[in-house]
Amino acid sequence: MAKTKSSTSTRRDFLKLSGIGTAAGAAVIAGVQKPAEAAVRPEKVSAGYRETAHVKTAYALSRF
Amino acid sequence: MTETARSLVSEEDAVRAHWYGLLAHFLARPPSQDSLEIARGLEGDDTPLGKSVAAFAAAARVATVETADDEFHNLFYGVGRGELVPHGSFYLTGFLNEKPLSQLRVDLAQLGVARADEVKEPEDHVAALCDVMAGMIRGDFGPACHLERQVEFFDRHMAPWVVKFFEDLEGAKASTLFMPLGAIGRQFMEIEIESFRMLG
Repeated sequence: MAKTKSSTSTRRDFLKLSGIGTAAGAAVIAGVQKPAEAAVRPEKVSAGYRETAHVKTAYALSRF
Repeated sequence: MTETARSLVSEEDAVRAHWYGLLAHFLARPPSQDSLEIARGLEGDDTPLGKSVAAFAAAARVATVETADDEFHNLFYGVGRGELVPHGSFYLTGFLNEKPLSQLRVDLAQLGVARADEVKEPEDHVAALCDVMAGMIRGDFGPACHLERQVEFFDRHMAPWVVKFFEDLEGAKASTLFMPLGAIGRQFMEIEIESFRMLG
């Protein structure tokens, strides 16, 4: 999958116009992640694995 | 993440990680009071995605932790089964724990990601996949993954079903707070798919 510089910059331009950079949104969304990571990401590393806490949390709530 | 890896993440890509993080955050568990407060403070703009963000903030303003918790369980973990099953394998095959999940496990092992020991929930939960994408972009699992690797993972494990899932979330009977979140997810994933296509 050879990529040219132009396809990369086309993508960047598209992303800029897409609304994902919505200033307020992006800034506050960054704020969302801080408590999430602090509160529910134990960042446990065992046997070379990083564990994703979201799977764990979803399970805890699932009442299976 | 090392500073070197961090500096390699472009501004656009850092923003993508935020969106994946937002989706993972609200789809992994019912929102806490803090999460609702943050959602209430989100501001949109005139883009379609921005309008959905504004709608999500408005829905969060009339939600409480209790109503959001009820909604979450009715959507995903209702009696017997919730209205939606947020797992890739289910969307692709009609059953949990089918072949798409085993393929995902191979790829997660290569990334060095595993679920916690006590977890029984399959890894193809939409929140987990969004979390993995955010981690690949940010470099949580080592050096930030090159875009090619992100595209490969997304194409294999998310693109075939994730837009349909978010459409279903948007249209679910139980969705009030999660209706605009479904719209955000659908629109963001459509943007991802389109932007990846440009790399062709």
